[in-house]
Amino acid sequence: MRAKEDFSGDKPKHNAKKKIVLPVMLGVLALVLVLATAIGAVYVPFGQTARIILKNIGILKNATFQEGHEEIIFYVRFPGVLVAALVGAGLATSGVVMQGMFRNPMADPGILGVSSGAGLGAVIAIALRLNSKSVFFLPVFAAVGALAASYAVFRLSKRGGKIPVLTLVLSGIAVSMFLGAMTSIVLTTIHGDQIKEYLFWTTGGLTARRWEHVAMAVVPIITCIAILLAYSRDLNILLLGEEEAQAVGLNSAKTRKILLVLTSIATAAAVSVSGNISFVGLIVPHIMRLIVGPDHRILIPVSAVGGSIFLVACDLIARAIPNPRGIGVGIVTSLIGAPYFLFLLIKTRKGGDAV
Amino acid sequence: MTAGYGDYSVLIKDLHYSIDDVEILKEINLCVGKGELVGLIGPNGAGKSTLLKCISGIYSCNNGEIYVNGMDIKRTDCKKIAREVALMHQNTNVTFPFPAIDVVLTGRYPYLKRFETESSEDYRIARKHMSYTDTLKFESKPVTNMSGGERQRVLFAKVLTQETHLILLDEPTASLDISYEEQIFKYCCELVANGKTVIAAVHDLKLASRYCSRLVLMKDGKILSDGSVEEVLTPENLSVAYGVRAVVYRNRITGLLDFYTHKLEQGKPGKKIHVIGGGGSASGIMRQLFEYGHEVSTGVLFPGDSDLQCADVFGIKAVVTEPFNGINEQYFNKNVELIKNADLTILCNMPFGIQNIRNLEAASYAQNLVIVEDDPPMGRDYTGGQALEIYNKLAKKAIITTSAKVHEVI
Repeated sequence: MRAKEDFSGDKPKHNAKKKIVLPVMLGVLALVLVLATAIGAVYVPFGQTARIILKNIGILKNATFQEGHEEIIFYVRFPGVLVAALVGAGLATSGVVMQGMFRNPMADPGILGVSSGAGLGAVIAIALRLNSKSVFFLPVFAAVGALAASYAVFRLSKRGGKIPVLTLVLSGIAVSMFLGAMTSIVLTTIHGDQIKEYLFWTTGGLTARRWEHVAMAVVPIITCIAILLAYSRDLNILLLGEEEAQAVGLNSAKTRKILLVLTSIATAAAVSVSGNISFVGLIVPHIMRLIVGPDHRILIPVSAVGGSIFLVACDLIARAIPNPRGIGVGIVTSLIGAPYFLFLLIKTRKGGDAV
Repeated sequence: MTAGYGDYSVLIKDLHYSIDDVEILKEINLCVGKGELVGLIGPNGAGKSTLLKCISGIYSCNNGEIYVNGMDIKRTDCKKIAREVALMHQNTNVTFPFPAIDVVLTGRYPYLKRFETESSEDYRIARKHMSYTDTLKFESKPVTNMSGGERQRVLFAKVLTQETHLILLDEPTASLDISYEEQIFKYCCELVANGKTVIAAVHDLKLASRYCSRLVLMKDGKILSDGSVEEVLTPENLSVAYGVRAVVYRNRITGLLDFYTHKLEQGKPGKKIHVIGGGGSASGIMRQLFEYGHEVSTGVLFPGDSDLQCADVFGIKAVVTEPFNGINEQYFNKNVELIKNADLTILCNMPFGIQNIRNLEAASYAQNLVIVEDDPPMGRDYTGGQALEIYNKLAKKAIITTSAKVHEVI
């Protein structure tokens, strides 16, 4: 055997070129954020929008703008766009982690029962007309429902300290069905305007989101993403299989529990302020994996930023479609996501590598 | 640390392991010293993989104690265990396209803190072992695009990158070409020579007997036999463990231990059959008769004949003459006695000379005679017509067949 000094200690080149992906995407995100804020019923020029945002977050001083623009940009549009960015990041990150944890590129945060739990929470808040009393009620009820649902799923699927994938998926389905039925019962007892309110929430509403919503989502989502990022090497190792992970000294049962809790919190926080938005957690990681490969140390941050860009752009499209109340961003993500997903499936069947 | 236990690489005391009330391992007691290359053999489902997983701490045993280098596995943190024991799994399914070097680097996981990234030292260690297993040339190739053999070697490099004292291999050669099969065992021998300990679950008994210094034979979750290759690989042990009739012999050509096994047949008792052969003409026929459970005898053979070796291997009674002496009266009579007692006598496709012409004479005492004739007898007569004359006489009252069809005739 040769001495190890003979070998190069350099990082392989395949990692180097991927390092530029993240800065580029952050740049794109900044552009999209400003663009999405600038476009609306009252058009505010791009440069001015940027300056308004910079002034209000304290970077730019002594700037004056046309009357009303500052309010429209910073208090009406910008919070909505930020909520979209946060929700997109949370959903995409949860998706990446779920797919890694289950070693299945088709896994999605929805299998934890989070969406159905949030739906039940939301419909209860609407039925009790709490949403008209304070903007906090609906998200809080949705978050509580989401977390309760995923907790139930964990408890039901736990066997001897471990959470087997199959039982988790099956109990996720069972819990979702059950909560869906409960939601339907509540829906049949409430008024038409309340049903419409629920429908609006369930298709993913990002309009009329205010700084309160940003405040509610920002702490759990950013914290979860940060902790998940710290677990990215463990996720890489989990991808090799549970026993393989244990053989190199990773406590896979414990790690998986931590990851499941973090993803449910991130998803619950996202869903509570935005309603149901599907496909973000599935498609964004998918595309990002094609670009940067499966290494979670790059894949997680890139997917978070990618999720933000994707959802902000979808929100922009949703607002551009003429409709008195705007259409839900969840409709747009599904309209874009479903065909793309089918395209991937067909490509896989033709022998391509779907990753 | 418990005093004294550290002298052994692995020390297992009365280990039991069960999954859902099914006992997979029972009363396992094993101690493996440093620098041993132990082959773990036994039929499918004997508990070889489970034992390896218990030693590496992946399965926590219900009862009993396991010490690795004096360290109690139950009470040790997984990362610390992974710095002492590395396990190569039987089949690792990688679903995502990681480049080979990233997979190998996972072997450094037990040495890294959470926020630490791999240093150039880690890369050097990984590349050293990749070069050793001949995988450095595709360090950037995704493992999902590799052949089974390439992937296995990458995973072997990963296990080595863990740089542990104890290396456990679960069927390491399962999907390898024969050239790499040998290679992996040669690596193991080198590792052991450098003071490491290797325990490998091996399917191929020939490979195990050739490279391992010690074998442990398992059956139904228990250790059936533990010792040197010769002590463990006895026909009795193989018959108990695998349910086969086995024959163990030293292959004359390679000088290595070789095995011949076949599934035990139940049913009708065999016939008494005598085989007249020589020069290798009877070996295949004797093996077939042995397999079908007939009671076989043979003679007269000359010392050093390969048919005689075959008879030894299968435990067939043989009349053997003295070297260079032809067949004297004493051996001729012994042979005739066997022929008279046999239900059936087979005369093989052998050459006839002055030395063995009396075997042909003896054939005339047979109750039933079967002559195997693959080549015309004229070409096999080296006595100048004398043998041919007897042969033709015998042929009149015998069934004539070829080696391929012998069994049908019987």
